[in-house]
Amino acid sequence: MSELHDAILEGDAKAAVVAAEQALQAGADPLDLVQSHMVPAMDEVGRRFECEEYFVPELLLAARAMKGALALIRPRLAAGGAEPSARVVIGTVKGDLHDIGKNIVASMLEGGGFEVIDLGADVPPEKFVAAVKEKSADLVCLSALLTVTMLSMKTTIEALRAAGVREQVKVLVGGAPVTQHFADQIGADGYGENAAAAVRLARRLVAAA
Amino acid sequence: MRLKLIGCEILFRELCAAIARSGNRVDVEFLPKGLHDVGKEEMRQSLQEAVDRVDASQYEVILLGYALCGNGMAGLTARSIPLVIPRAHDCIALLMGSHERYQEYFENHPGVYFRSIGWVERGQNLEQLSLETTRKTSGVGGSLEELIARYGEENGRYLYEEFTRYTRSYRQLTFIETGLEPDKSFERQAREEAARRGWRFEKIRGDLGLFERLLAGRWNEQEFLVVPPGWRVAARYDEDIMVAEPPS
Repeated sequence: MSELHDAILEGDAKAAVVAAEQALQAGADPLDLVQSHMVPAMDEVGRRFECEEYFVPELLLAARAMKGALALIRPRLAAGGAEPSARVVIGTVKGDLHDIGKNIVASMLEGGGFEVIDLGADVPPEKFVAAVKEKSADLVCLSALLTVTMLSMKTTIEALRAAGVREQVKVLVGGAPVTQHFADQIGADGYGENAAAAVRLARRLVAAA
Repeated sequence: MRLKLIGCEILFRELCAAIARSGNRVDVEFLPKGLHDVGKEEMRQSLQEAVDRVDASQYEVILLGYALCGNGMAGLTARSIPLVIPRAHDCIALLMGSHERYQEYFENHPGVYFRSIGWVERGQNLEQLSLETTRKTSGVGGSLEELIARYGEENGRYLYEEFTRYTRSYRQLTFIETGLEPDKSFERQAREEAARRGWRFEKIRGDLGLFERLLAGRWNEQEFLVVPPGWRVAARYDEDIMVAEPPS
């Protein structure tokens, strides 16, 4: 296992940046660094989270280490013509200000190789629609913490439909009160129970598209 | 009627006041507010255990001093006697006296944090509804000192920043005064909290009507869900909020 892989797994942001720098200087292929070291590290982070060896703090620290290294590597990737696996628009729906869960999912998606456009919290449906159009997104992730605001997920999906972009994206929903049943009721494409499950689901939906 | 009330401790004083005025004979069990902090599945299980503990031969109906509570109520099943639950999303709607009033307030006052007598004396943490789901099992919500001790100075500060950033979206603290307050100390504490966080303070009048009608047995269909024996609670994302579903 490489130093870069281990630094991400350990959530050591400084070590991850140093390891990425050294690897690039030594002539490593940037795409290979991402695919063979960083994405597997984040997958392992997700696995440890799901079997409760890691908790939210470890998840956030690993994601930060990943992002630090990615910031160095991304310009080289772009120069080499590599494209991110898919583009995700993510946000907490209108009326809801809670963003911790959404931020964790955004970090894990980014760590999983997605390009993430984070619209923040209390995001009105029209803002999701505009971002989907502007960025040609493949996925839309909606978060809510309150049952009062869960209905905003439904109105957001309806707005995507009314704007004629519903068919071009897959919609994922999540948040503490959200259930698979609710996701089915409002016509979402999937429900992620936690951040690791969301990344798995996002990959599956993109692969199937 | 002989009624058994299972209530959340956050509503301790409001429910006790309603019991005192009720024409029915009421026994009560209060459950800890911490039930909201363990996730919807675990909360429902704990509520179900409380329902199942009730000696059904002693009562005609079990009342729930709860709301949908982050879906913690979804799936709760009535055994041999009916359950009655106020149709509301959470205790703030109960304290305001109606779902409609809460909805209107919520929509017109973005970024509001609520306090009541129970939240002042029993609700220790900022997370009101279910964010603490993750608190105990995941480390979200620890103090800055705890996070630094566990993850080191730099990481601890980063995590604290991540976990508390959303609180900066709040702009106002609203104290719901029900008239049960023995003195001004609860309002004063709420005012101090608002000042400490740099939020606007507002006091609104609460309404104990829902509690009173729950305990009095005046369960009109608009305000209360009656779950027949064997049926279970299901969440609805419309004006019904909750409905009863037959056994599948």
